[in-house]
Amino acid sequence: MQLQDKHRIALLSAYALALHGFESLIPMPIPWMKIGLANIISLTTFILFGFRAAMTVTLIRVLIASLFSGSFPGPGFILSMGGGISSVVAVEIISYLSRGLFGPVGLSLVGALFHNLTQLFLAYVLFIQKIEPVLIITPVLVLIGTVTGLINGLVCDLLLKGLKNNSVTIQNTLR
Amino acid sequence: MSLRESINGTTLGDRILLILLLLVSLLGIIFVKEVLPRSEEVIIEVDGKPSYRYPLDADRAIEVKSSAGHLTVEIKGRMVRVIHASCPNRLCEAQGWIQSGAIICLPNRISVIVGSRGEQKDKRVDAITG
Repeated sequence: MQLQDKHRIALLSAYALALHGFESLIPMPIPWMKIGLANIISLTTFILFGFRAAMTVTLIRVLIASLFSGSFPGPGFILSMGGGISSVVAVEIISYLSRGLFGPVGLSLVGALFHNLTQLFLAYVLFIQKIEPVLIITPVLVLIGTVTGLINGLVCDLLLKGLKNNSVTIQNTLR
Repeated sequence: MSLRESINGTTLGDRILLILLLLVSLLGIIFVKEVLPRSEEVIIEVDGKPSYRYPLDADRAIEVKSSAGHLTVEIKGRMVRVIHASCPNRLCEAQGWIQSGAIICLPNRISVIVGSRGEQKDKRVDAITG
């Protein structure tokens, strides 16, 4: 890994952590519900710099965020770690298989879906071990995840366009 | 660069996936509400056999006939009562609204029982004496 990549990953992880912290200030109607604003950074990293960078940023974000919030070895940490890893892997696989079929919004939806499904699966296997409450909550979570995934995807698209425009203007001024 | 531009810039795959996910999750919510066992239901036994099952959270009035007479049962606001009975002393009417337990009308051989589906399955005889 080159020095430039390290700087980029550090910066992107810091952005993700800042968004994660900002998100905890937004009141939510259901306590465990989250928009997952930090995933905007994961997705942007994935689209700009690929799978490895996105995975690194996600792992750093989950680890440091859980250390800050004090949920480090607990259930919350396991769930966010599982969700984070599986969503990045799923986005990589889907974008590889369906080259060009999905834009940022589609990839965000895929990520949100796998994030939720993995968390439900982990919660079922490790903590709840009753199929009924999991079945009841699954469609609700998928619906919420689809809505937040749509929002994140659109923000990611705006961010990518903004970055593109900015880099163009920087190059122009340098010339 | 605007939100409208981003929305218009989504690919066909994005839109299909979005609609699919929304449909699947909404159908899932409806499916779970309809199919999974509700916590509580009303079981009406006629002549000793469970003949009717109704969810406790849907309001309705039911006319029940047995070999000995008939009852009118009302379910409203997660409570059950007997409105009218064909027997002489009408103890079941006097019992009023119940949320749990049972209203038993012996002369008409009809029982109205409030219970959960899970509990009914688990009910087994531990031992029989005598």
